[in-house]
Amino acid sequence: MSNSLLKRHPLRSASTVTNMSRRARIGLVAGLGVLVAGCAQDAPQDTWDPAGPNAQKIHNLQWPVFAIAGVVGVIVLTFIGIIIVRFRDRGQAIPEQTHGKPALEIGLTILPALILIGVAIPTVGTLMALNETNDTECIVNVTGQQWWWEVDYAQQDGCGGIAEPIVTSGQMIIPINTPVLVRGTSRDVIHSWWIPRLNGKKDMVPGRVHTVRLEADEPGTYAGQCTEFCGLSHANMRMEVIALTADDFEAWKAQQLAPYEAPAADTLAAAGESTFIAQCSRCHQVNGLEDADGEPVIARPDLQVFSGAAPNLSYFTTRNTFAGASFDLLSDECRADVWDSDPATFGEKYLEGVSADCLNSVDLREWLRNAPAKKPMYTDAEKLEQTDGLVRGMPNLALSEDQIDELIAYLLERK
Amino acid sequence: MFTTGSKFLIGAAVLATVSAIAYGVAQDGVMGTVGLASAAVALAFLAGINIYTRDSNIWDDEISSVETAPAASRPPANSIWPMAFALGAAVVTVGLVTYQAVFIIGVILLLASGAEWTAEAWAERASADAAHNAKVRSRIANPLEFPLAAAIGIGIIVYSFSRIMLWLSKTNTVIAFAVLGVIILTAAFFLAYRPGLKSRAAVGAIGVGVLALVAGGAAAGLDGERDIHEHETTAGLSEEGVDICLSTEEFEADEKASQSVAASANVAAEITLEESGTLSLNVVGPLTEGSNAITLPRSNPNNVIFINESDEERRLSVDLGTRASEEDGEDEVPFLMCTALVDPGGRQNITLTIGAPSFASPDGYSFFVPGVESARVELVVP
Repeated sequence: MSNSLLKRHPLRSASTVTNMSRRARIGLVAGLGVLVAGCAQDAPQDTWDPAGPNAQKIHNLQWPVFAIAGVVGVIVLTFIGIIIVRFRDRGQAIPEQTHGKPALEIGLTILPALILIGVAIPTVGTLMALNETNDTECIVNVTGQQWWWEVDYAQQDGCGGIAEPIVTSGQMIIPINTPVLVRGTSRDVIHSWWIPRLNGKKDMVPGRVHTVRLEADEPGTYAGQCTEFCGLSHANMRMEVIALTADDFEAWKAQQLAPYEAPAADTLAAAGESTFIAQCSRCHQVNGLEDADGEPVIARPDLQVFSGAAPNLSYFTTRNTFAGASFDLLSDECRADVWDSDPATFGEKYLEGVSADCLNSVDLREWLRNAPAKKPMYTDAEKLEQTDGLVRGMPNLALSEDQIDELIAYLLERK
Repeated sequence: MFTTGSKFLIGAAVLATVSAIAYGVAQDGVMGTVGLASAAVALAFLAGINIYTRDSNIWDDEISSVETAPAASRPPANSIWPMAFALGAAVVTVGLVTYQAVFIIGVILLLASGAEWTAEAWAERASADAAHNAKVRSRIANPLEFPLAAAIGIGIIVYSFSRIMLWLSKTNTVIAFAVLGVIILTAAFFLAYRPGLKSRAAVGAIGVGVLALVAGGAAAGLDGERDIHEHETTAGLSEEGVDICLSTEEFEADEKASQSVAASANVAAEITLEESGTLSLNVVGPLTEGSNAITLPRSNPNNVIFINESDEERRLSVDLGTRASEEDGEDEVPFLMCTALVDPGGRQNITLTIGAPSFASPDGYSFFVPGVESARVELVVP
């Protein structure tokens, strides 16, 4: 190759050719690296791996569009490369300039227009199909705030019937093969809700209600994350959809509506209940929790937090993430056991929740010790003039190690 | 090296420096020291310029300097822009220690006068012909100057106009500007039928009119706006303890309702008062058949549309339990919200942001229609 280049371009020195070859080799290696990165196995947010009808519709559209765009891109880049190499300035005379080639010009206008029309027709059709929500059988409300998602289920006949409202966060539980209507909004700034394997993304704007249709073919965990920059911890605002069989979904609903059970007296968890009431209940609701006088403990996050909300912790350890799904509640081994299980056993393992043996106590302890150090949040009271002192996120509560032990014992019983 | 002029300026700078030090040591306060130090810096700067231009003198034996020395170049024409630029710098300085608005005005003045000064200085060196240079300057600057001047002029007139309107009472505003309109029309007719009238007279008359308007606007602005009556709202009256949400009577808030346009794109629910006197619900999605409860998210604005299908004026009220009294913050008082009275066949939006869950209230939350006992549905806030 070098010899042929030297023959064709006698002015080029051998060293330049060597440099070019080195660059080409580096480019080749870099290109291969990018190509190989596409083969990553641990890629839970893969749009090329649809797991529901809506995602499949997107997939059916993006393949041909990607192919057409890829072919056009390769042709254009190849031509540019050939022109750059063959017609580069070597001091030769400027060739004769020709103007006005009507046939070529009209052809080069019509061809891209036809390609765009060919892409636009299925695109518009897919967009309209994705917007269709009339066939949904279950409603789930999802509300974004800095930097977590609240998920609630209103009383309804859908979802197999929900007698009392259910509130959870970070993870949305849905029955498989059931079209779900997600009604989304935001309490503070614009967020965007996206579970790549189930459907496209949808912005969630404060004061507006946006709808998304979700349906999962198989039980499993489908990961996603906020896709609209929403402030300091945008990158840590994650979410998961957990798809369960109809029976497992019924079991999950029963878990979420189970009456509150106070910890046994004189246990670490009982001390944790008192600590929770003193330190956490201003913002976090635990349904059924009563104070020493027997009065219900009502959280008022609207008086403490800018968004007006904080995660409901009534059934904290039935879910397996916390802090906006940023951290796993399960240890790596237990998490892998749930995530990698086959669809037939997934629901059973998920419904086991988090036990003391499986708890990821490292992250949970660090979170309770100093939450803003674990996940960036606006909680410094001196810097909250714009929000009248209301925090965006969870502040550092300066808990002692004993209090942390008590709280963990108490939270482990919240399932 | 040191010319006569520069020696004088250097001496003055040294004197100012010494004075600044002496003042700082002998007197309390820093303003005098800052002023004298500033003077020293300015004098030293001028001394430097004087040294560079050698007092604008040219030695007899430097023939070439007659054409090339700075002192030999053509002096610039009189200009207001250096003065405006200096004024801008002063306003910026004052703005830094007073108000942001003053600072912004100073920056605008600084930028505008700097741009004008630059354009003028550039045009003066375009050629040896002053008339040609003036034409060049106009060609560059006028396309920017005219629209900007027009925008500023119109802005001042509109602002003055608005100040006068807000100062006068509603009735006097109508009278004053009806009279003004008649004057303008009369003047226009007069000018149209008297083409012989000198344009200078017309411009003078218009100028006087604009000046009067601006002066009136400034005076009105300084005196402040008239008292503008704030209309009652259902939420305001409810917070004051007026039982509007339990009443079928008409209040001012009902007459002046401003929530008649529904936020149709973001409706959480529609609640209809049927002719039979019951409330029917329409929410997005598969609500429980025959349900008499509606679930709304907590701490989130929810738009609920009330549709009155009865044959009387009715309002939709929401019982949200109790809350701390506005007066002492301790006594629990009923927490009610409501729409204004809605005509038969009419509809109105109410936006509810509810901070506490419904189980915080012993009796829960509910929607109801005052005066219609059978019209009540449960509101669940998880």
